[in-house]
Amino acid sequence: MNGHPQPEELDLLALGALDLDERQALEAHVRSCVECQRRLEEARGRLALLSLTAPTETPSPRVRQQLLDRIRTRPATAPARIGFRAWLQQASLTFAIASLVLFASTVWLGYANRELFRLNENLRQQIAALHESAERQRQETARARAVMEVLSAPDAVRVTLVAAQARPLPQGRAFYHARKGLVFTASNLQPLPSGKTYQLWLIPAEGKPISAGVFDPDAQGAGAILLPPLPEGVAAKAFAVTVEPAGGVPQPTGPIVLIGTAG
Amino acid sequence: MSDDTAASDAALVRRVEAGDEAALALLYDRYANLVYSVAFRVLRDKPAAEEVLQDIFYQLWRTADRFDPARGSLPGWLLVAARNRAISRLRRQNPPADDPARLEVALPFNLESAVAQRQAMTKVQSSMQQLPPEQRQALEMAYFEGMTHSEIAARTGEPLGTVKSRLRAAVETLRRVLNP
Repeated sequence: MNGHPQPEELDLLALGALDLDERQALEAHVRSCVECQRRLEEARGRLALLSLTAPTETPSPRVRQQLLDRIRTRPATAPARIGFRAWLQQASLTFAIASLVLFASTVWLGYANRELFRLNENLRQQIAALHESAERQRQETARARAVMEVLSAPDAVRVTLVAAQARPLPQGRAFYHARKGLVFTASNLQPLPSGKTYQLWLIPAEGKPISAGVFDPDAQGAGAILLPPLPEGVAAKAFAVTVEPAGGVPQPTGPIVLIGTAG
Repeated sequence: MSDDTAASDAALVRRVEAGDEAALALLYDRYANLVYSVAFRVLRDKPAAEEVLQDIFYQLWRTADRFDPARGSLPGWLLVAARNRAISRLRRQNPPADDPARLEVALPFNLESAVAQRQAMTKVQSSMQQLPPEQRQALEMAYFEGMTHSEIAARTGEPLGTVKSRLRAAVETLRRVLNP
């Protein structure tokens, strides 16, 4: 609504004659306009005078008595039937009690809030742990499936690696598929001195050796590399294992301990 | 006794607020006829109008502390509250709250004495006589039956625009002639 309503609009509002949409629009303005609230009070007063056009009727004297009986028999329902000073004293007591109740409520709410927060935090952690566990299982399942695919692929290259020297005990076995990946296991490997590691190499038909990762054998000399990140589609000529500084190197530098040609 | 009956509405309301039953009885004696007449005019049923009358004064007893004489007149509130309550009853609606602190009514005339009431009645009735009959009828349907523009149009069969024009003209006339 732009500006103040016309006086007759406030009269019609006070009269109750406006239909719903007109009434709501006008009431919305009046709620936020002190001037129109005053004018509406005047309009109500003017329209209330219409009551004086009603033919004068006299109620039964019984009504007056019933009213007086009613207020006597229900004094408790009447609010604040006390003087101001007594009210003030009562209010002080009421305020003190209310303050205590409020304080106790605040303490209790604070405690309850902390408990709820703690419970919420526990639940949140449990849910996160469940998510993490489910994700880990999903990854492990996917990884196992990928390993099985390499091992069972009929067109996978199977290479047995033997000790490069005369000692045949250490042995490696590589399962390689140019698209599906590489699975490598080794056994009977010698333990290495500190600062050294075994590194597996894919030796392509063309180009330099490609690192397929490092591994440290267990106490029985067994080690494995499963599905290392390798460029896809590389044709393997051979696989080799060298001894390298811990962490591995970009290109082989150490002695070859296992080697095997593909095909 | 004479002091009491001459006491102002504001003074009596303050006594009612303090729990003075006699003060409530004095206010009842002062305004019961007006309140009952409007309730009966709306309801046209004695027991129902008497119930409204008693309820209005009982509400005054319970909520006198919420009434501010500086902002509204007591008879103004009594008349509006009685009219609203009677209409709600007529229409089988829940009774309105009519909180004295929210329903402030600035009555242009003093109605505290019987003489003042008679004078005001004469003036208002005379004002109503200045209205064309169709305007007066529309005004009475709105005030005493709580009907809106659309409801009056439906009842009378008049076009909605005609009803609106009539009521607008009627309230304009009343504002002009009833302003103190």
